[in-house]
Amino acid sequence: MSESFRQAAGRKVVSRATAQQLGTVSHLLVTADGRRVAAVVMGKGKKASLVDWSQLTGFGTDAVMVGDEAALRQPADAREHAAAEGKLELIGRRLLSESGNELGTVDDVTFDPASGALEALHGGAHQVAADAVLGAGSYAVVVAASAGAV
Amino acid sequence: MSVVAWLIVAVVVIVVALVAFVVIRRRSRRGGVIATPSRKGTPGATGRTTGDPKP
Amino acid sequence: MTLLMTASEINGLPVVTVHGGEDVAEVRDVLYDPAAGRLVGLTLNKRGFLAGRCREVLPAESIHAIGRDAVMVVDDSAMVEPDAAPQEMAHPPANRNVLGNDVLTESGVSLGTVRDLVVVVGGAGEVVGYRIDKADGRPGYIPLPAQLAVSGSALVVPEVTESFVTDDLVGLGAAVDSFRARLGLP
Repeated sequence: MSESFRQAAGRKVVSRATAQQLGTVSHLLVTADGRRVAAVVMGKGKKASLVDWSQLTGFGTDAVMVGDEAALRQPADAREHAAAEGKLELIGRRLLSESGNELGTVDDVTFDPASGALEALHGGAHQVAADAVLGAGSYAVVVAASAGAV
Repeated sequence: MSVVAWLIVAVVVIVVALVAFVVIRRRSRRGGVIATPSRKGTPGATGRTTGDPKP
Repeated sequence: MTLLMTASEINGLPVVTVHGGEDVAEVRDVLYDPAAGRLVGLTLNKRGFLAGRCREVLPAESIHAIGRDAVMVVDDSAMVEPDAAPQEMAHPPANRNVLGNDVLTESGVSLGTVRDLVVVVGGAGEVVGYRIDKADGRPGYIPLPAQLAVSGSALVVPEVTESFVTDDLVGLGAAVDSFRARLGLP
């Protein structure tokens, strides 16, 4: 059963140790190569915190479970700070082919909640398999030229 | 002139200066299409070019 | 299919990294070698509404692709310090902008003024011709091998060029081929 970034937004983040809600999912940060979910981002701006994908004990349909509150951390590097500002959010990002032509904007992204691996990007008339993604940044998600409309 | 009139003049001057700054700055960003001088020993497709320094 | 683009469509395009999705610069000048008929490279502005000139330049060999919406590079390392670039790129001559140049035949008749440069999209950045504004105000296209000389104020073309001026981009492709044949070029 695959999950989507749109469905995941707003989901509760709950501590397994205390059963307390620690926050809600703001968005999911992907790795720079655009192939996997790197972390769950909660909140925005100065109040933002991250949970690394490896720290999750489960990505359920109703809640995202983490070990305890210690799993939450502040953004560390430049990419994570940009993510905290919401600049790397995939949804709404430009979809650009490696030949320099715009294909549209990303509407939604599906991923495997068990592994965090991305499955496909959906944008307008295009559906791009995740293995065609070459890079994801603040300006665009770049996909291989061969990855046209599926 | 009253204080209000002076204020209005000051605001107009500042706005004009800002607009001029933005226009000049934007214009300085405008690029061109530049023909590079061909290197010595590599004559043009038809063998002649002008604009190169004479040896 | 061969896609043609004009150089002023490339001016101002963002430069985007393939393996990062970041816009690292935008195109300022398009530099080309009129003798070789190919792009030499691009000079850059920083990104941002009022940002200034970018020190680094982008040699044609480092361009991954030029598209309708962006110039793609593999990563940051595609942009090099001027010292590391070919000399004509490091210090682009300011007085050799061809846009607005007068197009003169050898006998001194003006065919119009240069409006733009026509470039093949993708590949090695081949330059195929000029778009001109003819004396009557209508657009025309001149195949690149026609030029005898380029100076930054005028373009001198052979007498026979006049018969190769086409009215549209589609005609330009055919004109380039027949013009080369006429001049005995490969």
